[in-house]
Parts: sequence; C-alpha cells; structure tokens
Amino acid sequence: MNELAGGVIEIGWLQLAISTGFVVVVGILSMRLSLGLERDLALATIRTFLQLIALGLVLRWVFGIDSPWLVLAILVLMMAAAAQTIVKRAPDAPPGILGSSLITMLLTGFIVTFAVTGLIIQVEPWYRAQYVIPIAGMVLGNSMNGIALSLERTFADLDARSGEVLALTALGATPWEAAGDSVRVAIRAGLIPTINAMAAAGIVFIPGMMTGQVLAGADPLAASYYQIVVMLMVAAATALGSVLAVMLSYRRRFTADGVYIEKGYRAGKP
Amino acid sequence: MLLSAEGLTFTSHADPGPHVVLDRVSLTLDAGEIVDVRGPSGAGKTTLLRALARLLPDVTGALTLAGRLATDYEPAEWRSRVTLLPQTAAMRPGTVRDNLLMPWSLKVRSVDSPPPDGVLDQALHDVGLAEIALGRDASRLSVGQAARVALLRAVLTGPSVLLLDEPDANLDDESTAQVSVMTERFAAGGGAVLRVRHQRGDVMAQRTLRLAGGHLTEVES
Repeated sequence: MNELAGGVIEIGWLQLAISTGFVVVVGILSMRLSLGLERDLALATIRTFLQLIALGLVLRWVFGIDSPWLVLAILVLMMAAAAQTIVKRAPDAPPGILGSSLITMLLTGFIVTFAVTGLIIQVEPWYRAQYVIPIAGMVLGNSMNGIALSLERTFADLDARSGEVLALTALGATPWEAAGDSVRVAIRAGLIPTINAMAAAGIVFIPGMMTGQVLAGADPLAASYYQIVVMLMVAAATALGSVLAVMLSYRRRFTADGVYIEKGYRAGKP
Repeated sequence: MLLSAEGLTFTSHADPGPHVVLDRVSLTLDAGEIVDVRGPSGAGKTTLLRALARLLPDVTGALTLAGRLATDYEPAEWRSRVTLLPQTAAMRPGTVRDNLLMPWSLKVRSVDSPPPDGVLDQALHDVGLAEIALGRDASRLSVGQAARVALLRAVLTGPSVLLLDEPDANLDDESTAQVSVMTERFAAGGGAVLRVRHQRGDVMAQRTLRLAGGHLTEVES
C-alpha cells in the first residue's frame, strides 16, 4: 500500500487490473444466463478505462499550464457537450432547440460555477483549474438531467393538453398564457429529483463529492460543508437552467401568430 | 356584412401527404345570422372554422370583420372577436366560476372588468344550469353541463362571431335544447354564428353551406 502525503491510499496498475475481476464476474453471469451483454460490457469497460485515464491526463496537463483561456475553452466544450446531450434526451421537443440549450448551459454554467468559485470558495486566481473545472462539471452534469427532464415534459404535456391549449388560444390567450400550466408542471418535474436528493443527502446516501474528499483524506466536517455548497449550487443551476431552457424553447411549438402546432399539422412528422 | 372570407386556401401536410383541404373558399356572415356548414367526414369543416378564427398555420386568403382586415387586428384580439368553440369542452382545473372568468385573466381583456357573481348566476340560470353553484368543481360537470358552461364562457366575453364545432354532438336532449336557446339568443343580440353540424332537423339556420372536395357551396333550401 502506498500512502500519499495527504493520507490517500494510492491505486496502481495492479489494483486496476484486479478491479477488472468485477467485470469478469458480470461477464460470466451474462454468459451463463444468455444475457448477451458480454460485448457491450467489454466495450463499456474499455471506454471507462480510456475515457477516465484520458480525463486524468488532460486535467493534469491543464492544471500544469495554468492558463485562463484554456480553462474557459474547456468549460465551453463541456457546456456544448451538455447542450447536445439535452437535445438527445428530449425527443419530443421541436427541432432547433440546440441553440437555446447551448445558451442555457452557457449562462447557467458560467453564472453558477463562478458564483461558487468566486464568491463562496474565493478561489485565487479566479480561473484555478483544480476548482473551476470540477465545480463546473458538477454544475453541468447534475443540472443537465433536470433541464432535459423539464424540456421533455414541457412538450409532452403540451401535446397531452393540446385541446385545452386550443380552447384557451381561441379565447384570446397568448402562447405564454396557453402554455403556462405545462411550463410550470415541467419545471417542477425537473426540480423534484434535485429537491429529493437534497432531502435524502447524508441519510440515505453519502454524496459523491463528499465521498471523494473523505477518501482523499479531508476532514469529514469540512467535506460536508463543501457538499452543502455543491448541493445548493446544483439546485440553483437546475432551477435556473430549467426555467431558461423551457422559456427559450416553448414558443417554438407555436406559430408567429400564436397558434399551437398540433401533431397533425407538423411538417414531416404526421 | 359582419364577417367575410375571400379565397381561403389551406394545404395539409399531414397523412397521407400534402393535399388541399380548403380551395379558395369564400363566405360571408351577416349580423344576427345563423349559418350551418355540412359535408362528409374529413371534408375540412373544422379546418374551415379554425381558418376563420386564425387558428391555423399557413392559411392564405383575406378575412375581414366589420370591414376591417384581419391583418389590422392582433391575432389574440381577432380571436376574442371571432371566437371558436372546439367540439370538446375543455374545462380548466378549478371551479365553474374560475372557468367562466378565465377569459378575463388573459392579457387581451386586461382592461375589462369581469362580470360579477350575480351576472354569472343569472347566466347559468338562463341556460338551465340553475342547479350548478359557481363554486362547483368543474371537473365534476357532466358532458352536457360542461358543453353549456364552455358555450356560456365564450358568449359572456361578447364576441362578434361564434364558430361552433358540432355544438350538440353527444349531448342529451335537454342540453341540446339549451345550446340552441343560447345560440339563438346570441344571434338575436346581433352576433353571427357559423355552426358545423351533422344532425338534421334544426330550423335555426337561415342558410346551409356544404363543404366537399375543398369547395364551399350554398345548399338550396
């Protein structure tokens, strides 16, 4: 066992090799039960190794270079990837929401990440990669799920309520007045998993960041403070992101004249 | 002439591919008039009502209300004057009062004051819904009751033209009779009504039009 200065027990290539034993067990189970997962499992294991080691190497390189432009470029890349994932996860959404997802992730990501690193943790200098990149990763990774859920729900709910939307529009409602109920339901749906996670944190599970810090030798109480900041930051990012994403995109299902485009009237999608 | 439509054309892109539903359709409605539209299923009768209410994307042609072009109105303002009542009454969560007053919660009527409870009670009484309290949960209304509340809601907003999509389909006899009374009263007050109907044996309509193959023709009575 190699102990680092901070009290971390280091994992080497030998330990990594042993850990693949877990996957071998799953592989044997898959073969015995004819689950047909062996190929996917092998591929996923290889990807886990390659992607995470690559991430480790890239972060080590970035931490060494210490350039604000490099940190900003990486953040923008992460945000673009998050926006792309949101679009994929909301198949009911109208075409052309990539732009609004990107604006959402850029605004939410930058505002919340730098509010945390600048105002709360007070990182010096402001672009210190060791803090900014992991915090941004948590902001984006966690809020992305809520935002995708809100978007998907908005358009599914509008389709389910299309009769009511028509009746409201017929009485003179604007798109916002006709869609308001769906938007509210959808933003609530996007926020509930985050609120549930906040309520269960520390009792049902030990959140990932706190686990990481404790394993890395941090004082558990100090780690819990960090975790509180992270959970509140994720809640804010999810709320801000869901509201922005839905507000920027619900109007796309309406014509310029404010008419909801029902399924039967969508070009290319009868 | 209260409402006129000139050369309304609409092409649907839904299944089974692009086809013309309204082919240069023209019509006029006078104040106080009740006009029926008939035609085979799928001929585009509902589409015609939606085109007149400006509730359809990509319609070409000209609409005027009391001599003013539709393009001179904001879309929401036009719809508040040429009001479509969809076939299925959509009740919002809440009470009957909430539903009747819903139109006054919209921006288009932000300067108008909503009718007081006394007016709403009297209106319910006039259409045979005296037994329904304003505080009743709207989700517990029967189909016939909801249809009448939805029609009442539209009438109370004071539109110039009412476009009724099968107003008495699936209704019991009492509800049908009350819907007819409301429709006649609206027309007698100077409004114009265009109804899509399947049923026969209604003497209210002054004229009947037939929509088939995208064309609208007057039926000789």
